[in-house]
Amino acid sequence: MSVVVGYVPTREGETALDHAVREARSRGVRLVVVNTSRGDALVDERYADDEQLAALGSTLADTGVDHEVVHTIRGRDASEEILSVARERRAELVVIGLRRRSPVGKLLLGSTAQRVLLDAPCPVLAVKP
Amino acid sequence: MDVWSSLLDGFATAATPANLLYALVGVLLGTAVGVLPGLGPAMTVALLLPVTFALEPASAFIMFAGIYYGGMYGGSTTSILLNTPGESSSVVTAIEGHKMAKAGRAAQALATAAIGSFIAGTIGTVLLVVFAPVVVKFAVSLGNPSYFAIMVLSLLAVTAVLGTSRLRGFCALGLGLTVGLVGADPVTGQQRLTFGLPLLVDGIDIVVVAVAIFAVGEALWVAAHLRRTAAHVIPVGQPWMGREDWKRSWWPWLRGTAYGFPFGALPAGGAEIPTFLSYVTEKRLSKRPEEFGHGAIEGVAGPEAANNASAAGTLVPMLSLGLPTNATAAVMLAAFTQYGIQPGPLLFDREPQLVWALIASLFIGNLLLLLINLPLAPAWAKLLQIPRPYLYAGIVFFATLGAYSVNLQAFDLGILLVLGLLGFLMRRYGLPILPLILGVILGPRLEKQLRTSLQLSDGHVSGLFTEPVAIVVYVIVAVVLLWPLARRLVRRTPAAGVGAVEEREKVEAR
Amino acid sequence: MSTAIGSRDRRSRLAGRSELGVALLLGVVGVVVLVDAARIHAPYSQADPVGPRTVPFVVAGLLLVCSVGLAVNVLRGGHGEAEEGEDVDLTAPTEWRVVLPLVGAFLANVLLIDLLGWVISGALLFWGSSWALGSRHPVRDAVISLALSLATFYGFYLGLGIMLPAGVLEGVL
Repeated sequence: MSVVVGYVPTREGETALDHAVREARSRGVRLVVVNTSRGDALVDERYADDEQLAALGSTLADTGVDHEVVHTIRGRDASEEILSVARERRAELVVIGLRRRSPVGKLLLGSTAQRVLLDAPCPVLAVKP
Repeated sequence: MDVWSSLLDGFATAATPANLLYALVGVLLGTAVGVLPGLGPAMTVALLLPVTFALEPASAFIMFAGIYYGGMYGGSTTSILLNTPGESSSVVTAIEGHKMAKAGRAAQALATAAIGSFIAGTIGTVLLVVFAPVVVKFAVSLGNPSYFAIMVLSLLAVTAVLGTSRLRGFCALGLGLTVGLVGADPVTGQQRLTFGLPLLVDGIDIVVVAVAIFAVGEALWVAAHLRRTAAHVIPVGQPWMGREDWKRSWWPWLRGTAYGFPFGALPAGGAEIPTFLSYVTEKRLSKRPEEFGHGAIEGVAGPEAANNASAAGTLVPMLSLGLPTNATAAVMLAAFTQYGIQPGPLLFDREPQLVWALIASLFIGNLLLLLINLPLAPAWAKLLQIPRPYLYAGIVFFATLGAYSVNLQAFDLGILLVLGLLGFLMRRYGLPILPLILGVILGPRLEKQLRTSLQLSDGHVSGLFTEPVAIVVYVIVAVVLLWPLARRLVRRTPAAGVGAVEEREKVEAR
Repeated sequence: MSTAIGSRDRRSRLAGRSELGVALLLGVVGVVVLVDAARIHAPYSQADPVGPRTVPFVVAGLLLVCSVGLAVNVLRGGHGEAEEGEDVDLTAPTEWRVVLPLVGAFLANVLLIDLLGWVISGALLFWGSSWALGSRHPVRDAVISLALSLATFYGFYLGLGIMLPAGVLEGVL
């Protein structure tokens, strides 16, 4: 049993992380932080680099919550990775951050949040900053 | 025919609005391609060969030259700004440049790279102007036997010296020569390797070969080993340098140029050795050697200059002798044949306008690159966010388009696929690309020279040795071929700095 | 990293055996060139003492020597270094799942280009290639593919004077 959160080093991601920490603490379960990238492009600012990873680690350590960070590139979309981890870790809650998208953006780029919402094996908490 | 007045004429041609536009397109494309991993100037020129159908030769070559020089600039931007060093062709620049960027000195690194490239490119092009006519004058005095001997030497040098395995170099050469053989024999009209297919009678078009080997082969190879990375670009403002940085960069720039130009001009010289030499020299001469490995500006200035000077140097044998010393030059030569222009010593005589316009545009292109890249370097890094599927699908798309547009035959696409698979195989099993492409381009010319020489001597093989230059060259050929045997006999003494040698052998034939 | 080196060793042993295939290929090509050259009838001519057969024989000879040489080299344990391109990750074996569909997309284009025309066939090529290479945004890809094929179709016609096949859409474009 755990709480899985999709993390990106942005405002949305930090907000999601905050909520996830609170949920994990109140439920008394482990927090699993997922930060991933498809690895399609050479550069992906949404994938945490060493500095950001270290900052994340120290933030998590400060919270005192039992946590785990999944930081891989397995050629899968963020949504697929989050769902896969949620299934593996038998998550009781998935937390994701939402960003604003224009109607055209929603059509052409799909939405991580949408796919997670529809396919999650458990309740999903979607938060905005 | 005064060299400088010819050059001025060249400027007149190169500075027309249309040609300036092509130069601009060329340098922009070249920089973009240099920034992106997996693409290179050779591939880009190959993919653009179809434009030779519509453009004047001068305009097309102005664009190609822009791509060539631009590729050098782009590569250094990536190696400095990307926080996974070693991922671009400017490996040596990345050593110090990236450390500088991490220390917050990305602007200075980019500036020294750009300015150094400009200075080296300009000096290199001036040297080209000075030396090329000299070489031409010498070459024109050569007869067929000597010219044949020189061609053999340059082919051999590339095959036997570059890369880690000369055996495989020869394998690649053999395959290249075979591809070049396909078609009707120019002298007797006999069909060779056409297998009764009428579509092969004209031989296999060099455009198809170039595109297949450089573009399709590369795309297939990358597809087979798709990399999954997610790096960050180090944010940077406008590149600039302080006075201290300028002072520290001057001599490395000049020394780098001195290293780069000769190596570029020699067959099998390449750009890797001079950049490495430049780095080692700067480290040894530096007043602050402990900075090396932590962001020493000399370690960026020198190698970048060497890189660009080598590019200029490559053009000396290409324009004056028609002998390419790297992949991009080889593809540009293919473009010459597309136009029906015979590359070689007589090029300066027969097409002075084209050659001098090309050389003049090198100066212009260099300047454009400096003006564009100094402010725009950070913006180029944005290109790195293009997903690989689009990049490589695009390469396959344009490769197909290019190959098809040669003859509007689907058959050519079949050949494209077959040769593309060959390119894939070669990359898989470590057969170097350059000997193959040289075999395709130089093979027919070699044969022609051979037959003419022997025809003049009535079939006596001694006809190949009638000129002193030819004899000297053959001696060099013998030395090149027998060198490994000699080395094995003397091999007791381990080379000082074996590590250095192994570093140098990481060759990338782009 | 020990895993990388370990897999490299395994790969190089396997590659050793498959590299013999390259030697075989060279040998076969060499024989083909030889046979093809031998069947040329070329009486000796004053004007052309070398003749059209000499260079093919030399090339065939080179190929056969290289074939044997490579086979010997491979059996003795040598192996060609797979090219480390700028964008290549060599720690994994060849991903046929990517290469084969890519080749498939290419072949489809070869067969269909004259039938369906460049606009459709080329768009299919781009779409299929991006799918094979891992892109999972089919709608977006389709839009980009069509845009590219249309742009190049008109671009080549207007800019280079080359009429790419219109195929099924003849008359529409």
